[in-house]
Amino acid sequence: MEARNTIRKRYYFVTGILFLLALGLLLLPHRKNVKELSPEDLLVSISTSDRFYSPENVARLIISGDPSIQLIDVRTAEEFAAYSLPKAINIPLANILDKDKKGNYVWQDVLNQDIKTNIIYSNGTVYANQAWMLISRMNFKNNYVLKGGLNAFFENIIKAKAPLASAPQSEIDLYSFRKAVAMYFGGGGSISTATTDAKSGDGTPVVKKKKEAKSGGGC
Amino acid sequence: MGPLIQQGIINPEWNSIIAFVIGISFGFILEQAGFSTARKIVGVFYGYDMTVLRVFLTAVVTASIGLLYFNYLGWIDLDLIYINPTFIWSAIVGGVLVGLGMIVGGYCPGTSFAAAAIGKIDGIVFIGGLFIGVFFYGETYNWLFKDLHEAGNLGAITMYNLLGISSGALEFFFILFAILLFWMTIVITKKFSNKLLKY
Repeated sequence: MEARNTIRKRYYFVTGILFLLALGLLLLPHRKNVKELSPEDLLVSISTSDRFYSPENVARLIISGDPSIQLIDVRTAEEFAAYSLPKAINIPLANILDKDKKGNYVWQDVLNQDIKTNIIYSNGTVYANQAWMLISRMNFKNNYVLKGGLNAFFENIIKAKAPLASAPQSEIDLYSFRKAVAMYFGGGGSISTATTDAKSGDGTPVVKKKKEAKSGGGC
Repeated sequence: MGPLIQQGIINPEWNSIIAFVIGISFGFILEQAGFSTARKIVGVFYGYDMTVLRVFLTAVVTASIGLLYFNYLGWIDLDLIYINPTFIWSAIVGGVLVGLGMIVGGYCPGTSFAAAAIGKIDGIVFIGGLFIGVFFYGETYNWLFKDLHEAGNLGAITMYNLLGISSGALEFFFILFAILLFWMTIVITKKFSNKLLKY
């Protein structure tokens, strides 16, 4: 009888522990596992230059109206409002990993996808690279960087220097392509400043779809 | 951190060695729990011995609580765990057949090997039957079992996804159910103990 009572006591004890563990599981918040890129893989992808799109390539894609690319401007909302590439969306670097109330990444739908190719740009390459590294570490796919950023875009293309008359044909072709691009962006030597009216009041990023760049001239 | 092999912490070539160690431990525990005796196993169906139910329920509850807490602590990534796809009809038919086999033969596949290992003749005979069954299934698969096997593929479903609740909530109800079952086994054993077979 004594032994039976001890066994009974143990059963009550185990039941109590099980119930507590069960209650714990019920109350614990759901944990989302984010599959981060391993440090080794991240290092490898940083050290290669696979992520870069040259300004010429980006210009070609913009002009051809390639629907598969998505330009992402990681500068601040003010800079974005002052000037941005056509159809770019603004995700400031500081907000790129923002989460909503449920703990999901706000920009995940844009930054992690298999349909479009994201090309990230800032004024130079540094901020765009930082943004690229942050989202690559989250294992988001299909993200690339505009090499040299907007500065290179303007230096190489809009303000393209004419090659010497003795330059090889390929260089002259490249120059004429750059001139054509510059015309498309309404430049031809000067930096155009498209104005946008929308400005976010509270500092939160706003997706702004830019108007198509207007072609110059008319009847 | 885990699963250790998927995360590249342990080389996949260790797979079979780890499987060997786990298999030996599993057999040892089966033997320790008395599962190499056919009487113990069929006791569940006749109600005089509920050890099998208790041991397996304890194993399932321990493992699932462990996995969920480990997942919460980040020690294991449950999303990387392989989940067997569910083929509903073959699961039902196979389940019924295994249940019948357990009542008739007194073993399930694992315990029959544990029994054979300690020299039980019925365990060895059971393994013989197992091989005949596997051979028959393999040889007649194409024209007898193929349609049944491939029917009702539900994919890698989980109960909590199916019910639309969190894994923790499902585990909570499962543990309540397990506790209830544990106490019921005591009542059932007491009720049938006058028919207790001495062995």
